[in-house]
Amino acid sequence: MGIPLKKVDLRVDAGGGLKLKNPVMTASGTFGYGVEFEPYMDLGRLGAIVVKGLSLLPREGNPPPRTTETPCGMLNAIGLQNIGVEAFIREKLPRLKRFKTPVIANIFGETVGEYREVARRLDGEPGVAAIEINISCPNVKKGGLSFGTDLREAARVVTAVRKATRLHVMTKLSPLADIKVMVRAVEDAGTDSISLINTIPGMAIDVERRRPVLSTVTGGLSGPAIRPVAVRCVWEAAKVARVPLIGIGGIVTASDALEFIIAGATAVQIGTANFLDPSASVGVIDGMEDYMKRHGVKKVKNLTGSLG
Amino acid sequence: MSEAVVAHNRLIAPGYYRMGLQWKSPGVTPGQFIMLRVSADSLDPLLRRPFGVYDVLRGAKGIEILYRVVGRGTKIMSTLRPGDMADIFGPLGNGFPAVKDPGRAVMVAGGMGIAPFYMLAKDILKRGENAALFYGARGRTDAAIATDFRKLKGLKVEVATEDGSMGEKGLVTDIFGKKAVWLAGEASVVYACGPSGMLKEVARISKKNGLRCFVSLERAMACGIGVCLGCAVRTGKTAGKGTDRKKYGMVCSDGPVFPGEDIEWESL
Ligand SMILES: Cc1cc2nc3c(=O)[nH]c(=O)nc-3n(C[C@H](O)[C@H](O)[C@H](O)COP(=O)(O)OP(=O)(O)OC[C@H]3O[C@@H](n4cnc5c(N)ncnc54)[C@H](O)[C@@H]3O)c2cc1C
Ligand SMILES: Cc1cc2nc3c(=O)[nH]c(=O)nc-3n(C[C@H](O)[C@H](O)[C@H](O)COP(=O)(O)O)c2cc1C
Ligand code: FES
Repeated sequence: MGIPLKKVDLRVDAGGGLKLKNPVMTASGTFGYGVEFEPYMDLGRLGAIVVKGLSLLPREGNPPPRTTETPCGMLNAIGLQNIGVEAFIREKLPRLKRFKTPVIANIFGETVGEYREVARRLDGEPGVAAIEINISCPNVKKGGLSFGTDLREAARVVTAVRKATRLHVMTKLSPLADIKVMVRAVEDAGTDSISLINTIPGMAIDVERRRPVLSTVTGGLSGPAIRPVAVRCVWEAAKVARVPLIGIGGIVTASDALEFIIAGATAVQIGTANFLDPSASVGVIDGMEDYMKRHGVKKVKNLTGSLG
Repeated sequence: MSEAVVAHNRLIAPGYYRMGLQWKSPGVTPGQFIMLRVSADSLDPLLRRPFGVYDVLRGAKGIEILYRVVGRGTKIMSTLRPGDMADIFGPLGNGFPAVKDPGRAVMVAGGMGIAPFYMLAKDILKRGENAALFYGARGRTDAAIATDFRKLKGLKVEVATEDGSMGEKGLVTDIFGKKAVWLAGEASVVYACGPSGMLKEVARISKKNGLRCFVSLERAMACGIGVCLGCAVRTGKTAGKGTDRKKYGMVCSDGPVFPGEDIEWESL
C-alpha cells in the first residue's frame, strides 16, 4: 500500500468551520472538563476536547451505585451530573481555552427549550468551538434518549439549537436509533456533523442479592465491548450521510480508531479508554501517524470511507 | 501510565498478599491510594483497581500495598512475580488530615480497612504522638495481617474477632464503643476505615463522645481522578454556589477520607 512516508498530514475538516489538527477527540463524560487531565498529558495535542454534558442548571445526577465493570466494558448511570453551563463558562473555560485545542461543549436538556437556552448561552462565548447535542443519553428520565429515538423530536432539538447558535453543531446519535433515517433527519434539521455512538442501554444483576447492580437498574454500556456495534453504525451512517461523521465506541488503540475512519468517519472520540490511561488519546494519535507512514498514506482524510 | 516493577509479592496470610512496587512515586500522604492495572495487555478485566498505600519502600524507592484476593483482578495480581512490570497511577485522593496535637490518635479498622493505617500509625508515632489501633477481623487468620502493627513501638493494639479466636469476641465497634468514653478524655481524633456499616457506627460513637472522626470510604471506581463521576457518595453538604452541586462527593477526588459528620449514612 504505497511507499513509506516521513511526514503525514493528520488535519481534518469536520465541516461547519470546525477544522482539527488531528482526528482524535476525547468523548463527553470521560474527560471531565478537560482541565483535570492537565497533570497527565499535553492537552494541546488533542484534535478537540469534548467536555462533560452541560445543562442549563446544575444537575446532581443519579444515586449510587453508578458504575460497574462488565466483560471488556462498563455500565454507567451517572445521570448527567454537571455544574451547569454558567459555572462551566465561569470556572472551567478560562483555563481550558488557553490550550491550542478546540473545545466542544456537549449539551443536554429535558425540553427542546432547555437545549436551545444552553446553546444560546454558549454561542459567541470565546473558546467554544462547537456544540455537541446529546440526544442519546440512556440515563435520564426526561430528555436524552427519548429525543434520540424519535425522528420528529430529534429534528426539533437540532432545529432549535441550529437557530440558537452560529457555532458548529454536532449531533450525537444513539445506537438504538434507526441510523439511516435518523442521519437524514438531523442533517435536514441543519447539523454540521454527526457523532456516533453514545452508550448502549444495558443491565447487570447481582445474583447473590437478586438485585440490580446499578441504582437505576439499567445503564449505558461503553468500552471495547461495544466497538463492533459502533463500527457497524458508522458504516451504515456513511452510506447516506452528507455531513462528516465522528466515530465513537470502544476505541483504545490507533487500530481501533482506524476501523471507524475506514468505515467512513472523518474523526473519532475516545471515551472509556481515558480511564485505563489518561493519555490514551495521544497514543492513538501517534499510532495513527505511524500507520499512515507505514502505509504511505499522506493525508488521513484519504482514509475516510476507504473500505475495500 | 506509570511503569512500576514488582519488588515482592508475598503471601502473608491465607488470601492476603503484600506487594512491593518499585516506582518513582511522588510523596505519599497516609490514606492516599493508587490505581493499578492488573493486566496491561488484556482488556478484561478492563478497569484499574484502587489500593490504599500500605507503606513506602525504604529510601522512598516505591510503595507497598496490602491486598486480599476477592475477585478476578486481585487473583491475577497474586500471580505477579518479582521483576514483573505493573502499571500504576497515583498517588490519588486526599489522605488523612494531620490533626495538630491529637493527644492520642485512634484508628479503627475493619478487615482490609487496616491497610492505610500502617503508614498513618508510623507517621503519628514518628511525630512523637500517641496512637491506638482497634482492629476487627473475622477470625485468627484474618487478624494475622495486623502482626506488623504490633511491632510498632508505642502503638496500642486491640483486636476483636467475630469468632473469638483472637482478642475479644465481637465487633471492632464493640471494643471501640466500650473505650470511647475513656478515650474522649485523652483522644481528640478518630480515623476509621472498613465496611460502611462499621464506619457509620464509629462515626456515631465518636460524635456521641465528642471525638472528631474521619472515615475512609470505598466505592467502585472507574477513573480515580474525579472525571467519570461514578464513585459518588451523598455528603449531605451543599456547595453554596449552585443549589445541589455538592450533594454528591466523589470518593476518589473529594475523598477517600471525609469528616464522619459529612456523610449521609442512610444512603450508603
Ligand atoms: C480507595 C480504595 C482503597 C482500597 N484499598 C484496598 C487495599 O488496600 N487492599 C485491598 O485488598 N483492597 C482495597 N480496596 C478494594 C479493592 O479495590 C477491591 O478489592 C478490588 O478492586 C477488587 O478487584 P477484583 O477484580 O479482585 O474483584 P472484582 O472481580 O471486581 O469483584 C469480585 C468480588 O469482590 C467484591 N468487591 C469488589 N470491590 C470490592 C471492594 N471495594 N471491597 C470489597 N469487595 C469488593 C465484588 O462485590 C465481587 O463480589 C480499595 C478500594 C478503594 C475504593
Ligand atoms: C462515565 C461516562 C459518562 C458519560 N457521559 C456522557 C455525557 O455526559 N454526554 C454524552 O454525550 N455522552 C456521555 N458518555 C458517552 C461517551 O461519550 C461515549 O459516547 C461512550 O462511552 C462510547 O464510547 P467509549 O466506548 O469509547 O467509552 C459517557 C460515558 C461514560 C462511560
Ligand atoms: S472513580 Fe471516576 S469520579 Fe471517582
